[in-house]
Amino acid sequence: MRPSVRLLTPEASSRQVSRLLYLCSTCRQQVSRPARSVVTLAQPFGRRHASSDSSSSSSATTPLTEKVRRKIWGTDNPPGLKDPYGGDGAISRALGGSTNENNLAESTGQQELETVTGEDPLAAAASSSGYVPAMTWEGLPTIGHLGRWSDLPPSQADAYSPFVAKKRLVKEGLVALAAHQAAVELALLRSLGKPLTAVCDVLEHDESIFKLIWECKIQPGAEGAWEGALVFPNEETEKALSFVFEQIGGVAEEDIPEATAAEAAEVDEAEMEFDDVEEESASATSSKPIPFFGYDNVQDEGFLALSLDDLATKFAFLKRFAQLSGHFFPDPTIHSITTVQQALEYVHSVNNPKPKKLAHQLAASAELQDLSNVKVFLTRRRAAHRDEELGRKKIIDAELRARGLME
Amino acid sequence: MPVQGIRAVTAARNGVGAFILQCKRLDLHYCDWAGSSRGMVAFLKHQLPAFAKENPQIEIRVSPRPHKHPVLRGHYINGREKAICVRNLEPEQILQKANLLKEASGEKLKKQKKPVTSLNESVRGIWSPYHGDLKSV
Repeated sequence: MRPSVRLLTPEASSRQVSRLLYLCSTCRQQVSRPARSVVTLAQPFGRRHASSDSSSSSSATTPLTEKVRRKIWGTDNPPGLKDPYGGDGAISRALGGSTNENNLAESTGQQELETVTGEDPLAAAASSSGYVPAMTWEGLPTIGHLGRWSDLPPSQADAYSPFVAKKRLVKEGLVALAAHQAAVELALLRSLGKPLTAVCDVLEHDESIFKLIWECKIQPGAEGAWEGALVFPNEETEKALSFVFEQIGGVAEEDIPEATAAEAAEVDEAEMEFDDVEEESASATSSKPIPFFGYDNVQDEGFLALSLDDLATKFAFLKRFAQLSGHFFPDPTIHSITTVQQALEYVHSVNNPKPKKLAHQLAASAELQDLSNVKVFLTRRRAAHRDEELGRKKIIDAELRARGLME
Repeated sequence: MPVQGIRAVTAARNGVGAFILQCKRLDLHYCDWAGSSRGMVAFLKHQLPAFAKENPQIEIRVSPRPHKHPVLRGHYINGREKAICVRNLEPEQILQKANLLKEASGEKLKKQKKPVTSLNESVRGIWSPYHGDLKSV
């Protein structure tokens, strides 16, 4: 319709059409035509394309969009709705819903048919075998523990045996015994030419061997030299200890001289049980209640002057000392230690740490204790302390009790 | 016998013959945790013994005051107290404050209006209507 002609044609007012629907000018003109029926109105509302409704043949009645759709799909029966681009408009559906209900019923039926024919083959197979898909995770097999690993019994891999002793030595005499034993063992290994760190292979010696070690003295040379520092009480002890420590560090028994072996066998038969070192050490740690077989201190303190300037010796000594005493040495401390005495001092400082509270430090200060005018309190002074100091606390308490405010 | 006036005796003045320190007690409070007490802790560790030794007439009390700033509190024989907060001060500065409290009189600080003050009466004497010549107007 030409624009000039359209201006002359009357349009439908807003009362005649629903307010919710937007209608263009063309649609309003179509609604306002009184001569047409409802059915005839629906046709031009839905299709405003150039379709001719005068021809009678099927090709002529087929709309252009349907032709294009068929060309796209390559078939005369394309999938989807029957007329996706056309159909009745909003107004025709509002005015004559009966005609659309038929189309809707047809399209719904077609969709249902497609649903039935296109069923999932996997689901069909599963339903035939009795398989029921799970809707939740309950009852499904799990991988891992999901927070219940602690309920499982410990396995062999969970067992752990620490390198150092489980219990730290606290008494100074016992710490000195550990340092003395480590020094004697290292001196022996140095004299035998064994690797120094092999001393840690045996966690604990037999009591008879420990007694021999305990009887040994150390007299370090100039500047704490290790050479010739070990002094045996007698020749038998030297031979026995040499025999015992010959077996440490992976030496076969064929290399041991027969005479030496025979003499050492007289010392104690228990000394020969070093084949299974780990088993013996484990049993000893579990059953031994008294450390160092009841020995409480060293005989002499010559080992304190031993030098630890040599890094290999220092490492081996501190490793063995840590193993025997249970005290761990941090890296800065290891770096600063140069003598056995300093290692013992570090353990002593760990066993007797400085008080963290300043009041305890001041109270323990001998300089302040000598001064009669200085008084150090460990806790905060409160009003009750002042009352007690002035002698009125008893009066206040008595008055409070008399008034029933304090029991 | 002629009437004799009351003999004037030397009034007791602190410092005339004897000097009594007005500060009788010094309380030192600190906190083990707070960083503002760092200087106070160092003072207590290193400088307090010498200070206490120099001032045996002052009672020194050291007590913690957790989660508070360090405080010096002086108690005086006139019953008054003076407190100085020494937060974030160095040990040397705290020593200065301690000496300040030690030398203080305990009185409130007053504004000095005149350059010279004296407790003595005026040298001219007190005016009396019964003395002196009659003045002719």
